[in-house]
Amino acid sequence: MSALAGTSEAELIRLEREIARQHLDKFPYFAVAWAFTNLAVWLSLWPLVFTGILPLWAGFLIASFNVAACYLPSHEAQHDIIARPGTKLRWLNQLVGHLSTIPLVLPYRVARLTHLEHHTHANDPALDPDHSTQASGPLHAIWTSIQNRQPGAKGGLNSYAETLKRIGRADVLLDAALYNLAFYGILFALAWSGHAIEAALLWWLPRHIGLTYIHYYLSWAPHHPATDKGRYRDTRSFRAIFGNIGSMGMQYHIVHHLHPRIPLYRTPRAYWQMREILEARGCRVDEL
Amino acid sequence: MLKLVGLVLHYMPLIFGIGFLAPLIAQLIERAGLALPYGIAPLAAGLVIGGLWGAQAQFRGRWI
Repeated sequence: MSALAGTSEAELIRLEREIARQHLDKFPYFAVAWAFTNLAVWLSLWPLVFTGILPLWAGFLIASFNVAACYLPSHEAQHDIIARPGTKLRWLNQLVGHLSTIPLVLPYRVARLTHLEHHTHANDPALDPDHSTQASGPLHAIWTSIQNRQPGAKGGLNSYAETLKRIGRADVLLDAALYNLAFYGILFALAWSGHAIEAALLWWLPRHIGLTYIHYYLSWAPHHPATDKGRYRDTRSFRAIFGNIGSMGMQYHIVHHLHPRIPLYRTPRAYWQMREILEARGCRVDEL
Repeated sequence: MLKLVGLVLHYMPLIFGIGFLAPLIAQLIERAGLALPYGIAPLAAGLVIGGLWGAQAQFRGRWI
């Protein structure tokens, strides 16, 4: 039984907030460095592979890692963790947000607005833009991610358009349209100039692999089975076979949903500090 | 302009089949050193396979 069993709700809230405060407003140096380094490495793959310095198979592996890893710095920016509006480093927050997801072909404004809706309506089948990743198990989650990327799919990135229309931000769809036109335009130009295999293995296929990985660890695993609603039940802690780094820090996703402005690198520490409080709250923390 | 963009994106599966899959298939055939029957050019094979695959994706709303 939790040591905090019987503690009043007001006291639990106070204790939880006290811990959260210790982790807020910490500058995420690693996420900022990660954003620029990751993008620079991915961009450098193109000349390295085209000039024969790096073999294509190695470029493919690195590019797949780059695409899978590119979302999280933007995620820190989406929650204003790097710098809040009106502060001196706000430009850096926005720069990281815009640049880091270029390999993923995901515009910052689309990512930010839909992600904030996910936080507001987590696990709501009608209103959570990420609810389409719900699946019965790991293999089903991977298959669902692939199915959500089909042209006629209702879920995945396609459901983001519906979310943007619902919240009155259809204007942001232009960002997505321009990103997609640029992405396909570059792929077509490379393909017809004799570099289709390079384009497929440095961008097209890594993007699919990255999206699958992101859907699996950032959306499916931390919310599974994605049936409960409410801030203490809509997500969980879990044990990933690749560990916390391999799951891109998502083992402690429950802390992120409760306190979205805690930087990713502080969520493990915050989790272990508030675990008993979460247990007393009836949170799903049995795996860790 | 926006209508044109919307139109292009609507027909993207078909365009992708011809614009990307066709040259990709052709270059894979060439890279693998495969000789197609009846002297069919790799690009012709790519256009047929990529075009048909893109057309069915456009029609059915799914690649696989």
